[in-house]
Amino acid sequence: MEQIKNDIVDYLKANSFMDNNSSLKDNDSLTQNGIIDSIGLLELMDYICEKYSIEIPEDMLTPENFDSLQGITNMITKLAK
Amino acid sequence: MSKLVCKKCVLDSEIPGIQINKDTGLCHFCETYTPLSSKEKKEYLTRIEELFKQYGGKGNYDVIYALSGGKDSSYTLYKLKKDYPFLKILAVQFDNGFTSENAIMNAKKMCKITGCDYFQLTMEKEILYDTFQKAAESYDAFPKFAKYRASDICNVCITIIKQKLIEQAIVQKAPFVVFAFTAGQSPNPIINLSVNFIQWSRNLFEKQLQKIGIEDKDEIFLLKKEVLENIGENVPSILHPLCLWDYSEDKVLETLLEIGWEPPGINDSNSTNCTLNSFACYNHLEKYGFHPYAFDVAGLVRSGEMPREEGLEKINQELSQPLIEEAARKLKLKIKSSQKIVVKV
Repeated sequence: MEQIKNDIVDYLKANSFMDNNSSLKDNDSLTQNGIIDSIGLLELMDYICEKYSIEIPEDMLTPENFDSLQGITNMITKLAK
Repeated sequence: MSKLVCKKCVLDSEIPGIQINKDTGLCHFCETYTPLSSKEKKEYLTRIEELFKQYGGKGNYDVIYALSGGKDSSYTLYKLKKDYPFLKILAVQFDNGFTSENAIMNAKKMCKITGCDYFQLTMEKEILYDTFQKAAESYDAFPKFAKYRASDICNVCITIIKQKLIEQAIVQKAPFVVFAFTAGQSPNPIINLSVNFIQWSRNLFEKQLQKIGIEDKDEIFLLKKEVLENIGENVPSILHPLCLWDYSEDKVLETLLEIGWEPPGINDSNSTNCTLNSFACYNHLEKYGFHPYAFDVAGLVRSGEMPREEGLEKINQELSQPLIEEAARKLKLKIKSSQKIVVKV
């Protein structure tokens, strides 16, 4: 679980979605904290699908699954099983 | 520490968040850049053709097309119709109150040449001016990454276009929305939308508008809830074919001039259709300290679609003072008038 969270934070930092020195709590909203918008979400989805070799079903594209580190981690864990 | 400019593209170490590796001389985008191969591009184009054949011919239109009347969107419409003559296309031009007469004329002309229907989307000028004024006065209303892609003014404008084109696609039962984004502007050639994602994007934009002080109760800018509720099976996909074609500004202009598109009369190196663009760039530079086209141009240079010298020239060119002054007057905003507005690199 921690590895997935670190991977996502590394991706967000490497692609300039967030500053290197800023931190993100597990349940912080990515959209409300100004880290990502709809185009950024599309790119993040692409990254997740490729990195974890998963397909994200349409009904899982919700803020609950995509708007926080915890939500993303839970979703990946579920889909990667 | 002195400023470092990436050896491959045009980004520099003074842009917030950009790091240049001292050993390689490259920014972290160039270091990790993996372009689409010719084979991948060909596969995407084959996939797009298959999608056109599979889902076309069922709605009022096959494609809702974002036509600004500028060079990229005019060229993409021409090539799209040339490569796929069977497509029924509705070209939508958003007149944001600053669209040049030349761009409107070119858009109509391109529709005539390609045999596409033309629709002009617009709103009352006072509402548009008020919206762009609020976008100009806002700070950090958009995520950091959005600010890299475009100015706050352009982000508001392009999001309105996206919302309204998706709305139009749903209403017209058109399976595709096509934008003329270059590889630098959008790396994803095919985006399959879902109802959840469309709903989420709409809500995000609603919040961004609220953040800059706009309550769009009448859904002038937002995708109408009623349309979304009745979407049924008609969930459109977004296509970006231009990022799969060989691109060079010279080639695009040469093709367009041959078929009767007329060069713009506006003095803006980054836009051939919008008279607000120079002000939007000025405003972004004043607020955030870097050119809003830096990432777009860097993407083109990185992918080899624009020579680096040309890219550097583009983002260092002096912005048009008359265009900035005219837009500022319309938006009732003050500008620094005593100095030359030049981008620093």
